[in-house]
Amino acid sequence: MDKIIKDFKRYFIDQGFDAIETDHERRGFHLEVVLDVNQVRKFAETAYELGFYLVFVAGLHVRPDEENDNGNSGLEVVYQFARYDRPYRVKARASVPKNLNISSISDIYHGADWHERETRDLFGVIFDGHPNLKPLLLSEEDVNFHPLLKEEAKLKTLHEVSWSPETPKSDPDKPERKPKDSLTQ
Amino acid sequence: MLESEYQEQNRFFLNMGPQHPSTHGVLLIVLEMNGEYVLDPQPVLGFIHRMHEKMGESRPCPGFMPNTARMDYVCALPYNHGYVSLIERKAGIEVPRRAEYIRVITSELNRIASHLLWLGAYLLDLGAFTPILYGFDDREHILDILESVTGSRLTYCYYRFGGVYQDIDDKFVEATRAFIKRLRKRYVIYEKLVTQNIIFIKRTENIGIVSPDMALRYGITGPNLRGSGVAYDVRKNEPYSVYPEFDFEIPVGEQGDCLDRYMVRVREIEQSLRIIEQALDRLPDGPVRSKVPKTIKLSPGDCNFAVEAARGELSYYLVGDGTSTPYRLKVRVPSYSNLSCLPELGRGILLPDLVSILGSFDLVIPEMDR
Repeated sequence: MDKIIKDFKRYFIDQGFDAIETDHERRGFHLEVVLDVNQVRKFAETAYELGFYLVFVAGLHVRPDEENDNGNSGLEVVYQFARYDRPYRVKARASVPKNLNISSISDIYHGADWHERETRDLFGVIFDGHPNLKPLLLSEEDVNFHPLLKEEAKLKTLHEVSWSPETPKSDPDKPERKPKDSLTQ
Repeated sequence: MLESEYQEQNRFFLNMGPQHPSTHGVLLIVLEMNGEYVLDPQPVLGFIHRMHEKMGESRPCPGFMPNTARMDYVCALPYNHGYVSLIERKAGIEVPRRAEYIRVITSELNRIASHLLWLGAYLLDLGAFTPILYGFDDREHILDILESVTGSRLTYCYYRFGGVYQDIDDKFVEATRAFIKRLRKRYVIYEKLVTQNIIFIKRTENIGIVSPDMALRYGITGPNLRGSGVAYDVRKNEPYSVYPEFDFEIPVGEQGDCLDRYMVRVREIEQSLRIIEQALDRLPDGPVRSKVPKTIKLSPGDCNFAVEAARGELSYYLVGDGTSTPYRLKVRVPSYSNLSCLPELGRGILLPDLVSILGSFDLVIPEMDR
């Protein structure tokens, strides 16, 4: 099975995507792909050709990297793909630029239509080329209300919410809040 | 009058729901109609949207447990199962084997209860009143059994990180065995009453055909996918818990019409019974809960866990930041993707067939709206 995962990985890399293998036991998926914002459609087409189905599209709000400004808004779009015949799960992630626009994949994966509308509702990401980007879960009046955007104080950088490559259990040096604060009050 | 003008005059919009009985909850479908034919069905969601994902991100992770059962209230235990397994995977918590067996037994009982309720409700949609009475009668036994260990009848919060809330006793095992025996006898009744009924077959055969390609494009999972002949079940394909230890099959249909989806669910009940039987026979001794730190720290990084709920693949996706509160919690629910194919599937069909398709999809609206 590992061989086929490696084949997929090699294929993705040949196509120009940045794919790395991940530990399924620990993380729940086999491959992680980091996409450039204009690679999203090409990746979706590749995944569709390889027989993957779309599990979900979700957003993630992090603090943009202030030191080296790369033009990102801090919003990330996470795609997950899996296959019907064998347990291969692929996570793809793309950073949304400051104009909040990212290509829609709803014409490749028709199921992405609702997932993208939901991500627009909750995060305000605009999916270019989506035929009907109206509010789905939220009401029509709440078109500019995005409940999953975090407050400035609660934002963390992408680095702070990513696995550290060498030691998985390493915690940041700041102490954990005592349980008293969070549970019994 | 020109033919086209006549056609135009016959066009109208019809709001099906949110109070329509066959939408089984607050789902609105705006139908563009031409006479009795549906031209374009557009589902409108969000009537019971509660923003569960935000709730998951605003409190320490044990606080989300009761929420999991309030998404799919018909089959809540797999939702419990997915969430505890996710946190266990993230925090590296070991689960005693007895606890995993109890989880499988109770989850499968819940799956049967869900399928029985669906069977009754679907037939009710098609105009048959009696099956729901039989279905509720059988389901009641499961609810009693589950109530004796979980304390609730519908919105269970029974699993805990590292095990289950309390152990099952001999009474539970006895009652479950008695129920298995009883349900196998009832198959004959269902067979005669429903499966061989000519009106039922006419209302379901060759209606709402989902092809495997269409399922792939929309991400359809669960019995709706297996009806189309694709043997995809998370319990087999991406095994979790102790499912690999049991011998069971994945029933599949042939062409993916409403009848196939019906047959798949009915045959799944028998497979669930088989799993429960084997689990009861081999139930190991030992503790049902391992020692878990009071505050569970979710290390930085993301993590995914998929389980097979009664309606399809349920995925929890979590991003941790080192505290006990998830930084991001995404819940991928099966009905949401399953229903998204309706605008394509429902084009150009008769209104009563749309009711049949909606019923055969086994929708739970609070699960879709979250």
